[in-house]
Amino acid sequence: MKKFLNSLVLLLAGWKAAAISRFPRPDFESGYQYPEYTYAVPNEMLWDIIDVAMLLILMGIVTWALYKKRTRGPILWSSVVSVAYFGFFRGGCVCSVGSIQNVALAFVDNSYSLPLAVFLFFMIPILGAFLFGRVFCSGVCPLGALQDLVNVKNYRINKAVAGALSVIPWIYLAFALLYALTRTRFIICQFDPFIGIFRLGGDIGMIAFGVILLVMSVFTGRPFCRFLCPYGALLSIFSSVSVFKIGITPKPCINCELCHNSCPVDAIEAPYGNKVNESNRTGVKRLLAYMLIIPVLMAAGGLLMRQAAPQLARANREVRLYSQVMYFEDHPDGEMIPEVEAFYSQGRTLEDLISSYEEVHKDFRLYGTLAGMLIGLVIGVKLVRLSLKRGRKQYEIAHSRCVACGKCFSYCPQNRVKAKVN
Amino acid sequence: MKKDKEQIDNSPMPRREFFRKISKAIAGAGVLALGGAAATKVKGNKSASLYWQIDPEKCTQCGRCETSCVMPVSAVRCIHANKVCGYCDLCGGYYRTNAKELNTAAENMICPTGAIQRKFVEDPYFEYTIDEDLCNGCGKCVKGCSSFGNGSLFLQIRQDLCLNCNECSIANVCASGAITRVPYETAYKMKDQA
Repeated sequence: MKKFLNSLVLLLAGWKAAAISRFPRPDFESGYQYPEYTYAVPNEMLWDIIDVAMLLILMGIVTWALYKKRTRGPILWSSVVSVAYFGFFRGGCVCSVGSIQNVALAFVDNSYSLPLAVFLFFMIPILGAFLFGRVFCSGVCPLGALQDLVNVKNYRINKAVAGALSVIPWIYLAFALLYALTRTRFIICQFDPFIGIFRLGGDIGMIAFGVILLVMSVFTGRPFCRFLCPYGALLSIFSSVSVFKIGITPKPCINCELCHNSCPVDAIEAPYGNKVNESNRTGVKRLLAYMLIIPVLMAAGGLLMRQAAPQLARANREVRLYSQVMYFEDHPDGEMIPEVEAFYSQGRTLEDLISSYEEVHKDFRLYGTLAGMLIGLVIGVKLVRLSLKRGRKQYEIAHSRCVACGKCFSYCPQNRVKAKVN
Repeated sequence: MKKDKEQIDNSPMPRREFFRKISKAIAGAGVLALGGAAATKVKGNKSASLYWQIDPEKCTQCGRCETSCVMPVSAVRCIHANKVCGYCDLCGGYYRTNAKELNTAAENMICPTGAIQRKFVEDPYFEYTIDEDLCNGCGKCVKGCSSFGNGSLFLQIRQDLCLNCNECSIANVCASGAITRVPYETAYKMKDQA
């Protein structure tokens, strides 16, 4: 009888209203007890504390090795620990590079509260860069450390090519901020080339890209850090004006060029032997012209990105859903894809979707314009920096590019001399 | 020209030094401003971490959880809320809709991995349990249960398996937008505790 009833209800049951209890809770006569299940939540709190402590300890070790000991040994060990712990053991999440997006999201999304550990992972390396330079990049960031550990040979990349490529991190940063601020997705995490390697599995395309980058970093130092990493771009602002600065040697430079050859990221600049003979006035004029170009570049970038906003917005879930639903409304006989099915089963109205679609488009226009202006500004500043007159008399570290790996220390003959030099 | 040079010599500090000091101050202020602004967004309660979780009310069992997770076997598993279950013999999450005979032969089962086990309790009730080692989060049983039953079977991200990626690759492809970040208190969205 019960079976019959059940099948009757089964026939009547529709597809909608899944939460409705179609069958009453049985009243057991045999004294049956409901089984109890508990589902564990790992103690993230503890891991967060360990992560932040590891970050601080490793940054401390690197700073100590750079400023007190002037040796690369501890930095190398710090790199090994970082790759082993942050990389392979913790699976690479959350890392400072990705935390940019969490911070950006927290500013626009009030329902998202920034976890304290993520905040610390974002701020500590920036603070470190402002005080001591890019000590985080050196041997604490698992992405940089992994590339550093496989680096064998340093083939120099053409200066013009390297200069052009160094704009990419900024563009990447602008896009990452754009997609985080519009609540679309975290592209830095999605296109992280090394996470698949750390987790020994993942998207095959990204793993292949990561392997290519690693093979490249055997022959030239840190291609990811120099030409892709958006967090490195952010840190380079602070490291270029840092309070304490790393020096190759405390003793006078003898202009031997050895440190220049040892630097894997081409961050040691040669003495400038005023090759171009031009009057002071021409230089100033050119500089002024470039300064005037900056607003033009910013406006152009902003306009361009504003024009591209509808295309960029297609990565957003709501915008995609809108076009899918619209397509289905036009072709009601076609197959219903899961997104459209979910849209109708959730009982959302078309007006609701259209308003959120327009909201997203508005966001994309605003933040797209700002991102374009940022890209224009960066390109302008790069041009200005190229034409700045430098009065270098000896080999100097370009602190914005220096990743504080400490390789130049052992190359400098002045560091080898035990006797006191006057 | 000579006059210019004298002026520079008389100035309290060289121009380059002046620029350096100014930029240092700006950068310092920038660190403080950035840190301060971001710090206001931090909420210092126990929900220090956020977890990815599926809202079972929104989930439409499109089956992408099974294949889109970065784990070799998805961190999404089926969870059974016994207190919601009707303990039916003819279970929509156990048998296929077109099952020829109601027995435990594999061709009649909805679960492709045989992860649902059932135990006779008393006439006419059967208890269903999920073998979580076999479950791969495909959601076929969930679809059956929510279509023809009480919806006591539902998909959840197992927090002990989840790597807690900063960007969840299932959430990106989730058809219904059911996967969101949740605080510690609601790390699981259970059906029988509501």
